Amino acid sequence: MNEYLRLEKITKAYDGKIAVDQLSLVVPKGAIYGMLGPNGAGKTTTIRMIMDIIAPDTGEIIVEGKKVNQDFKDRVGYLPEERGLYKKMTLLEVITYLAEMKGLTRQDAVKKIDGWLEKMSLGEYKNRKVEELSKGMQQKLQFITTLIHDPDLIILDELFSGLDPINIELVKGILLDEKRAGKTILFSTHVMEQAEKLCDYICLINRGKLVIDGRLSEVKSRFGKNSIQVELEGDSAFVKAIPGVENVTEFNNYVELRLSPAADSQEVLRQISEKVKVKRFQLMEPSLYHIFIDVARAKPEDFTAPEGASHA
Amino acid sequence: MRKMWIVIKREYAQVVKKKSFLIGIFLTPAIMALMMVVPALLAMKKPAGTEKVAIIDLDGQQLGERFAEAIKKYKLDDSSPAYQVTGIYNASPDDSLQLFSLKRDLDSLIQSKDLRCYMIIGQSAESRDSIILVAKSFSFRTSNRFERVISDILSGLRLEKSNINLDVDSVLHLTRKVALIEQSPGGKERDFMTIYIGGLVFVMLIFMTAIGYGQVLMRSVIEEKNSRIMEVLVSSVSAFQLMAGKIVGLGMASLTQVAVWIVIGVGIYSFRSDLNIRGDIAGMVFNPVFILFFIIFMILGYIMYSTLFALIGSICNSDKEAQNYIFPITMALLLPVFLAMYVIQEPDSPVVITLSLIPFFTPTMMIMRLNILSGDAFSLSNPIVIEAILGVLITLLTTIAVIWVTAKVFRVGILMYGKRPTFPELVKWIRY
Repeated sequence: MNEYLRLEKITKAYDGKIAVDQLSLVVPKGAIYGMLGPNGAGKTTTIRMIMDIIAPDTGEIIVEGKKVNQDFKDRVGYLPEERGLYKKMTLLEVITYLAEMKGLTRQDAVKKIDGWLEKMSLGEYKNRKVEELSKGMQQKLQFITTLIHDPDLIILDELFSGLDPINIELVKGILLDEKRAGKTILFSTHVMEQAEKLCDYICLINRGKLVIDGRLSEVKSRFGKNSIQVELEGDSAFVKAIPGVENVTEFNNYVELRLSPAADSQEVLRQISEKVKVKRFQLMEPSLYHIFIDVARAKPEDFTAPEGASHA
Repeated sequence: MRKMWIVIKREYAQVVKKKSFLIGIFLTPAIMALMMVVPALLAMKKPAGTEKVAIIDLDGQQLGERFAEAIKKYKLDDSSPAYQVTGIYNASPDDSLQLFSLKRDLDSLIQSKDLRCYMIIGQSAESRDSIILVAKSFSFRTSNRFERVISDILSGLRLEKSNINLDVDSVLHLTRKVALIEQSPGGKERDFMTIYIGGLVFVMLIFMTAIGYGQVLMRSVIEEKNSRIMEVLVSSVSAFQLMAGKIVGLGMASLTQVAVWIVIGVGIYSFRSDLNIRGDIAGMVFNPVFILFFIIFMILGYIMYSTLFALIGSICNSDKEAQNYIFPITMALLLPVFLAMYVIQEPDSPVVITLSLIPFFTPTMMIMRLNILSGDAFSLSNPIVIEAILGVLITLLTTIAVIWVTAKVFRVGILMYGKRPTFPELVKWIRY
């Protein structure tokens, strides 16, 4: 594993409240690294410290073996959690300005803009003002400003917040392209489902402390448990009573059952199908969400629940 | 440095490209020029003609004729007479009907603009203390002249009737009024209006750059906070570079504006005789040392106050919130305007000296005092020069302190959304 970014025991406290506590991480070069955790876990604070927007109280941030300095800022593309651009400037002006701030010359920036606008299908808005764009378009624009200077490290805070499904797919595609080009991508999110589909590596943070980190597949096999998804007709209340079922999460049209390690999923299926008609039955990989709940003993309320879910 | 320059360029372009900048840059001097030129133009047109005057004399001692003779000495610029007496009506004081119809006729002549004014010289005028002048409107100059002329005539009449055996002309000569001309120590003739308006012009220039551009700066910080672009910016430049870039960029915009105004001002000044502007106001104090102090105070004042505005912007979330903080700054800058009368009369009183050396009052107060006291005597032996240098040092130190505090608060404040920090929180940020 070729290390790109390393945090060494960084700590930050606000008004006596510890936001990040002795956090150490290693982000491998060329990886997509997901920083996961509930709201208020300290993800944004950590990212701001990496960006040198705020200084850690103690600890060090090391990039390719060196302590971060101002020059490092030019090599990072940063998408903050709270999105926003100059509303009165045109797309061309905003992109050029932010690209120049990242060390690009005006000429280079202008050369690259058309390609990016085309890629994001914003080509026709080049000379329009930012305020004339829809929310979704503004997000795509912001994404361009994050990547226009071809950064080595891409940091995306709460990547998926506010993105509509079409843009999520667009962004994922671009991030995979960047990864293929050898870029390192670090993003934070509290939406576990999306992270699972994208990450090579993850870390879970809760209350400012590191809970788990490592390759996604390793984390899953180390901490995962048996679980199944069942779509059935009728009342599903009885499934809780089936031996071997540890936990039930009800979604709109299916339930997710977590089984004890010793339980036999086929036996559970048989017991369910005795009572009601089963429309779908699927063995699941353990989800990060449940791993997190288990390992961090975080309360489900700490998360903004995945859409449509209610927790039993 | 390179990034700061990019910020400077953007901030400058954002202001200068706006229509309001172009409007302000030309409209403000246009309004000022209009205020000076229009009265001059009007004054040029109005008295171009000879004013027609009539006299009703109830006294019967040819006072009307004497008056008509005396006012012949007043000439217009083209040396034609300023006044033409259209008629001297000798009426009997006992025939009130005749007087009444005479007045009615003359009134209607005034209404039809065939007559400017008429004077009524009452019975035994020399024993009275007043003479009536009837007109639709009165010009300061004409009233003054008439008062003087009729006073002289009546004084002469009184002398003749008294038992003092003296030549009338020599008595009038002996009792002639004297005009008081006010001069500063350097020998320049300066009247109250020159000092007052001159001082205010310089104070207002400092005020407009500091408050005007300070508020632009504050709004741009608030806008960047609200639109959340601040975080993108500080991920590219340090907070201090951003703040400094904004201050310098907007400062350059304000200098552009002042430079254009100065060019326009000098232009108007050089054409002042054509435009008939009072040279003493336009030409006020083009003294190089004074101008040097003015530029120093304007730039230092701008940096000090706009940094304060950056501080306010960084801790506020809306213009409305910020208004409360702007008020004291405005008051500090305008102090010399409120105290103008007192400062002009007592520029060297201990109170005024003290006020002019209190950091946030210094730029405008000191300029006001310099304008009054400097005259031509700009040397180190002139205490005002020493005080002004002291004022520059005080302002410089204060500015450095303000920048230091603001830099600390700014980098924390710009990422705080929602709530305004309390004072103890601010102190904590400064101590970070």
